[in-house]
Amino acid sequence: MRHGNRLAAIVLAGPAILLYGGFLVLPALLGFGYSFTNWNGWGKSPQFTGLANFKELFSDDLFYSSLRFTLTETVLTFLTFTFGAMVLAVLLDRVKLMKGLIRSLFFYPYVLSLLVGGLLFQWLSNYRDGAVNTVLRGIGLPTWAKEWMGPNWATWLLLAFVTWSALGFFTTLYLANLQTIPEDMYEASELEGAGPVSVFRHIQFPMLVPTITTNSVMSLIFGINLFGQIIVLWDKPRVDTYTVAYYIYRVGIEGNRQGYATAISLVVFIALAAIAILQVRLLRTRQVQQ
Amino acid sequence: MHRSTYGIVAIAGLFAALLACGCGRGGDASSDQDKTIRVVRNIGGREGFRIHFNAWKKAFEGKNPGWKMELVDLGDNDGAATYKQRIAADEMPEVIMTWALTKFLVDNDVVQPIPDSFYEKYGIPKGTPYKGKQYCSQGGLQFQGMAVNRKMWASIGVTTPPKTWDEFVGDLRKLKAKGYVPLVYGARDWTGFMPLTMELQVNMYDYAPIPGRPSWTAQRNSGKTKFATDPIAQLVMKNMVALMDEFAEKGALSDGYPEEQRMFYGGKGATWIMGCWIAGDIEAQKITEDIDYWPLPSMVGRLPAFLEYKNMQSGWAINSKLKGEKLDKAMAVLDAFYDPQVHQLYLNGEGMFKLATKVPIDGPMSTWPPAQTLFDRMGTELKQWQGAAGWQLALDDMPPDSVAWERPMQEILSGNKDVGKLLQILDEEWDRGRKGQ
Repeated sequence: MRHGNRLAAIVLAGPAILLYGGFLVLPALLGFGYSFTNWNGWGKSPQFTGLANFKELFSDDLFYSSLRFTLTETVLTFLTFTFGAMVLAVLLDRVKLMKGLIRSLFFYPYVLSLLVGGLLFQWLSNYRDGAVNTVLRGIGLPTWAKEWMGPNWATWLLLAFVTWSALGFFTTLYLANLQTIPEDMYEASELEGAGPVSVFRHIQFPMLVPTITTNSVMSLIFGINLFGQIIVLWDKPRVDTYTVAYYIYRVGIEGNRQGYATAISLVVFIALAAIAILQVRLLRTRQVQQ
Repeated sequence: MHRSTYGIVAIAGLFAALLACGCGRGGDASSDQDKTIRVVRNIGGREGFRIHFNAWKKAFEGKNPGWKMELVDLGDNDGAATYKQRIAADEMPEVIMTWALTKFLVDNDVVQPIPDSFYEKYGIPKGTPYKGKQYCSQGGLQFQGMAVNRKMWASIGVTTPPKTWDEFVGDLRKLKAKGYVPLVYGARDWTGFMPLTMELQVNMYDYAPIPGRPSWTAQRNSGKTKFATDPIAQLVMKNMVALMDEFAEKGALSDGYPEEQRMFYGGKGATWIMGCWIAGDIEAQKITEDIDYWPLPSMVGRLPAFLEYKNMQSGWAINSKLKGEKLDKAMAVLDAFYDPQVHQLYLNGEGMFKLATKVPIDGPMSTWPPAQTLFDRMGTELKQWQGAAGWQLALDDMPPDSVAWERPMQEILSGNKDVGKLLQILDEEWDRGRKGQ
């Protein structure tokens, strides 16, 4: 490397490396250390407690129940953002009339503040005065009016909120990928008399595999890290709507036990990293096969 | 030097400047250079609180030329998360609103004692000492009971507070039979715990400190009792299950404080178990309902009582790092709080009653007749009924601050009616909370 290029590389990449190292890598390493202590999060003298936090974690019912809910909503968000977004993108790609406007409408909730979205869904889903139940009662279906924020519907309400707010983003990635498919492939398929399903199966799907890889990893991380949506919807979430991320917040910030919270984070991080590596490997294999 | 090198150097310089700005210790309370006193307040959407703060700021800045009083607004939060972040970053403001966090702030050496002369100057009754000292400006008398819609209660022939829990429940039944929503209640947010925590305090704790007798908190912490084995806790939880079964509206899990406000202020609900601060809303929201404020009925044969938080050290405290002129000015902020006009606006906004005997004002006042009527009635009821300290006997008698008291109530509404398991949840919450203390 020439001297000038090396200088440019250091100056241009240096700040990013410093920031990444200082605000992500270093805290993660410190967190690893804190998981073996009883640190409260601001005190200056955490005490070493060995594996006590990890022992407690494996007999913590709230951790297991939040893990169960996290897995449930993660599977649902994974399916929605990986496959639902793909189907939506393919359909939107076929729209010819006012396509810019229609695509924007799907993307628009993504740019809205999470808080605004949360309040909107609170108003939509309130049992007594919410818009959904008001409409249902208005059209003569009062028995369909449900307590959407209650235990039977909470997961679906959360999924609706998450889907509404982020589906546009994942769909946009697929749409961008669809634009890279050469037009002559479509023309050839048309000459062969292929229908939309066949086009999707033999042309679009194989070409979308790189984005499927990206979206599946991102949606998995999105589902596992789900946090803000829970708070803005419920404020004081019920135990049956705790995600692991929320539980970490509750233990660490509200419960003053950062040491224990970092132990949970560490275990979740290891599990998440293992799943992500496995997932990327599987999808890469598929990509190569395609 | 190449043009590109100049570009690189310029980018590096810009980055260094940004980094220097970002890392600057702009909020260091001990700095004498800055003539700003930052004061914490939880204004959020409460107009009465904002009016009071602006008057407070004006009074301080008028008497201390060249100095500024700056708001650190906590919104609807109690400050716990904000304070922890600021303690970690060493950026606590100069004057700190403590509320229920006094013990936490003292234990972490964040606030410093206030001299006795301050309390004497304004006739402020001191709270129970903590570590032998006083740390807070106190403020006014905050109390908790239940707000009732007088017309609805009068329609069933009840114009005075029910004396016992059974009588209260009987009255709620009559209200329900009349077609009213007898109880305004939501469990989505923090309001979910109000009936439970109020009744636990009224029934399990002594109304006033009894020398030599440890509070229920102290007994719980020393392992002498538990929620699950305490007969009074069992009675309270059994009554909570029955209360929710019979009177919580379908949809209570999706209701929170805003929905409760709309129901009660909108004349749709008859009873609201909520703190005295609701009186501060009446003028600000131009509410016209005829409201009274009653004490809480006991389940164990005691007289009805308001939970009165006057033993507790609470209010505003001074950053422990302050000294010299900055400390004097922070104390001047507390002085300005007791300026008669400012203190009047504080009581109005909070719906609190006066504790500082030497400040020449009466109780809270309003130009909006329904609000003034409610203030007058509150004053009358306060004189007539007993005050109970609840768990706010002293800072050591407070429960762990991270207990999610709303959890059992949410469980009840989700279908869990097992009193033993519900009390077990409280025990687990308490023990978890203690681990973080």
